[in-house]
Amino acid sequence: MSRERIEVRGLTKTYEGGDPHRPTLDRIDLDVPRGHFVSLIGPSGCGKSTLIRVVAGLEDYDEGSVRIFDSTPRQMCAAKAVGFVPQSPALLPWLNVRRNITLPARVNRRSGKGSENPDALLRMVGLDDAARKYPHELSGGMRQRVAIARAFGTRPDLLLMDEPFSALDEFTREALQWHLLGLWERMSTTVLFVTHSVREAVTLSDEIVVMSARPGRVHEVIPVDLRRPRGDEVTGPRGRALEDRVRASLRGAWESGAAPDDLIPL
Amino acid sequence: MATVSKAAGVDPRTRYQSPPSRRRRRRGRGGRSPLSALSPRVWLPTVIAVALVGAAWSWVASGNPYILPELGEVGRTLVSDPTLFVENAWSTLQIALLGVAWGAGTAFVLALLMSEIPVLRRAVMPLAVVLNVTPVVALAPALVVAFGFGMTPKVVVTAIVTFFPVLINVTTGLRSVSGPVLHVFRTLHASRMEVLLKLRLPTSLPYALAALRVVLPLSIVGAVVAEFVAAGSSSGLGTMIRNAAANAQLPHVYAAVACLATMGVLMLALTTLLERRLLFWHESQQRNPS
Repeated sequence: MSRERIEVRGLTKTYEGGDPHRPTLDRIDLDVPRGHFVSLIGPSGCGKSTLIRVVAGLEDYDEGSVRIFDSTPRQMCAAKAVGFVPQSPALLPWLNVRRNITLPARVNRRSGKGSENPDALLRMVGLDDAARKYPHELSGGMRQRVAIARAFGTRPDLLLMDEPFSALDEFTREALQWHLLGLWERMSTTVLFVTHSVREAVTLSDEIVVMSARPGRVHEVIPVDLRRPRGDEVTGPRGRALEDRVRASLRGAWESGAAPDDLIPL
Repeated sequence: MATVSKAAGVDPRTRYQSPPSRRRRRRGRGGRSPLSALSPRVWLPTVIAVALVGAAWSWVASGNPYILPELGEVGRTLVSDPTLFVENAWSTLQIALLGVAWGAGTAFVLALLMSEIPVLRRAVMPLAVVLNVTPVVALAPALVVAFGFGMTPKVVVTAIVTFFPVLINVTTGLRSVSGPVLHVFRTLHASRMEVLLKLRLPTSLPYALAALRVVLPLSIVGAVVAEFVAAGSSSGLGTMIRNAAANAQLPHVYAAVACLATMGVLMLALTTLLERRLLFWHESQQRNPS
């Protein structure tokens, strides 16, 4: 057990009614050091989102163990130490941007966890002039920025992001990646990030976990040894070489079970 | 403190697509200009339809006074003794509002409990369905026997009429919370009460107001039906219509009907006002670009 890493050991999960011989997650072993940015990538049905939800304590599992900095997912949530950004921004439409961002501070007060200054968070995501706007008055990219700022609102030890940029156009998605990196480098949060985009994974991550489907397994863990803060190197020869390596690994993962119908061509 | 370099030298903050400019100009919380109602495109079709119905009415009434009275005569009846109509309208309105308060209030509380206690939902919902399909008119005489000749049986009839739509709508609303939002609340370890107050209740508000839009006019129907069938009624527009019809006083009948229609319209207007005020964030209140 370690207070400095997330440890997933032998994690196995089969959904009710699913084939017990082909579990959604099959003996997953994963180590994520504190402060690392780790992306999960793989074909549809490989269990990326399920893994995120199990780590978030949102779903139970059949076998194995999940320890987050030597705590259970439930203990982490009770301490408001987990931030969650789903695919859709999941904002409360009746609250303005500022009230949405301060929502984590207004629930589960018994955790005693403080919160970030909402104005500073708004500035960091470039929305300081939109504090009083409502979600329906924002573009998709702005809504997702609010969701990210909300997730950082309690300065969580662990941030779980489930394809947060998948519904956005590439232009907005790229800009949001830089905003996310800015917040992450400032907050030193550990991030587990689900994506279907190879370039996004290379741009953001310290490590990329390639998963294979049916059953969902960790196929390969690829370290991303690009300098931080990330810059032109991502789009340079070293970045492209890493992308090629991830794609080659994904091909291997597909051959072990799934079709690549969900990958974004880059 | 680490900083993030910007790819290709472009500040990402400048690269976002702006929301459509029309969204920047908020037209009040409802998203619609109050002046838009003054546009002929809004009121002219209604005025033409009313004029056509009025003309058809006058044409029928001129040759068949026992089918429809002259509109002028209906108007004169209203003006000749306004206190009579106001007092009876107030009596009916009291029954309607008390019925809504009891019926909708009980349904709302029950829906809240049912959303938190699934076994209660399974127990109560079949009974509520049976109550809904039972003709309330058939119950009214029994209610008079049970509660006497006063206001109570009429309020109970109205409450029963308004109960079911609120129960169904609010139950649906409380359960229609989106999965991702619920996940955010659960990762924050929000309590059931926090989820109920901060998430489920606001989510159910559009459903509750949609139910109100149905049950407020329905409450008037319930009150009038109760006045029709409850023996011993001495006031209310329903009683007035029954007595006037028995004496072939058609202008009185239609004057009372006009009062009921006006009350229904005012209740609908009140609901619309509430919706615009409370649901400014909901897609039903956004401006339709088409």
